Amino acid sequence: MRLRSDGIDVDVPRGWDGEIYRQGGFGLQGLQSEEGETDAPIMHLANFSLPPNRGDWGSGAVEIMRSDNVLVALVEFGPESAGKALFARSGLPRVQASDFAPNQLQRTLPGQSGAQYFFNHGGRAFCLYVVLGSHARRHELVAEVNAVLDTLVLDPR
Amino acid sequence: MTAILVTMGVAIVLLGVLMVGLLRSHAEILRALHRLGVDVEGGGQTHDHSFASRPSPRVASENAPPDIVGQTLHGSAVKIGVSGVEHRTLLAFLSSGCSACQVLWQDLKSDPTAGLDDRLVIVVKGPEAESPGRLRELAHPEATVVQSTPAWEEYAVPVTPYFVLVDGPTGDVIGEGSSSSWAQVRSLIVQAASDRAATAAALSAGTDPELRADIELKAAGITPGHPSLYPEGVPLEDSE
Repeated sequence: MRLRSDGIDVDVPRGWDGEIYRQGGFGLQGLQSEEGETDAPIMHLANFSLPPNRGDWGSGAVEIMRSDNVLVALVEFGPESAGKALFARSGLPRVQASDFAPNQLQRTLPGQSGAQYFFNHGGRAFCLYVVLGSHARRHELVAEVNAVLDTLVLDPR
Repeated sequence: MTAILVTMGVAIVLLGVLMVGLLRSHAEILRALHRLGVDVEGGGQTHDHSFASRPSPRVASENAPPDIVGQTLHGSAVKIGVSGVEHRTLLAFLSSGCSACQVLWQDLKSDPTAGLDDRLVIVVKGPEAESPGRLRELAHPEATVVQSTPAWEEYAVPVTPYFVLVDGPTGDVIGEGSSSSWAQVRSLIVQAASDRAATAAALSAGTDPELRADIELKAAGITPGHPSLYPEGVPLEDSE
């Protein structure tokens, strides 16, 4: 089933949860984002039930992840960021098992692993943040993440 | 003497063909039961195909109830997984206007889980039919509420309020019906689970030939309403 909003279009597999919302707006259950954030969209996809109370980078969700769970967060930054060096990489990345490390998590949790990719696409600046429930199972979980990312379409600005 | 030998030979060949047919039929039944997760050799225990310490969700069939796609009360695009997940989900089809729903909304204000162990998802019709502002007043901020008119159509909701309990791993609808209180809903869930356990026990014991026939038909992709069941066309409902 496709989920589409704010120039983000993705096929969410059966059984997965997903949401596309705006920063500074409200998450799944109407909890307001932190002050000072832009109103650029954020996408969360997960192969487990996304909890109502969670942050833009998955806090509140990563704590309940099990070893075979994945969380994909796509966070857009303001258009002025698209030309900056941090976002120099062009196009949506495919994730590799070798990219993941436990120390790349926003919040370090035992066994978990994360990876972060900054990139630009069609004049838009994004960060793709992926959390795996188990670093040991990163090879199988990365395949699951890439299968979803293959369906992701980002409209140009 | 020759005639007797020929007759016996023919009889042996016929018996052999019959035996092969029976063995194939038996194998088909075993395969069908295996696909449904019934272990006929293990004392009625169900298979655990997972390699982890917990059962992994099975891939729900194409006929499984659809996931819920719509928007939150704040306009975000949202999708909630219902089948192919590891837990059960109770879909509560409510509206802001129905009088029977008011008590349900009020009770959710004090407990957004409604005292359920299952995931509770409240499904209301889309913004063209229901005011998000009014729904925000009614709903607990931590309740999962999705506005989706297509979900009402896909689940063929006949009345309001209406509840559908879906088993995530199998994608089976365990039970559905209407109720005016959460206590009654909880009771119905317990009853549905009990009925399901009894059905599973009957299946594994092989005591219910009707259910066995249902299993074989389901394994062959023939579900209620399948065109092959009505070679001369679907019969019309009797008019009152």
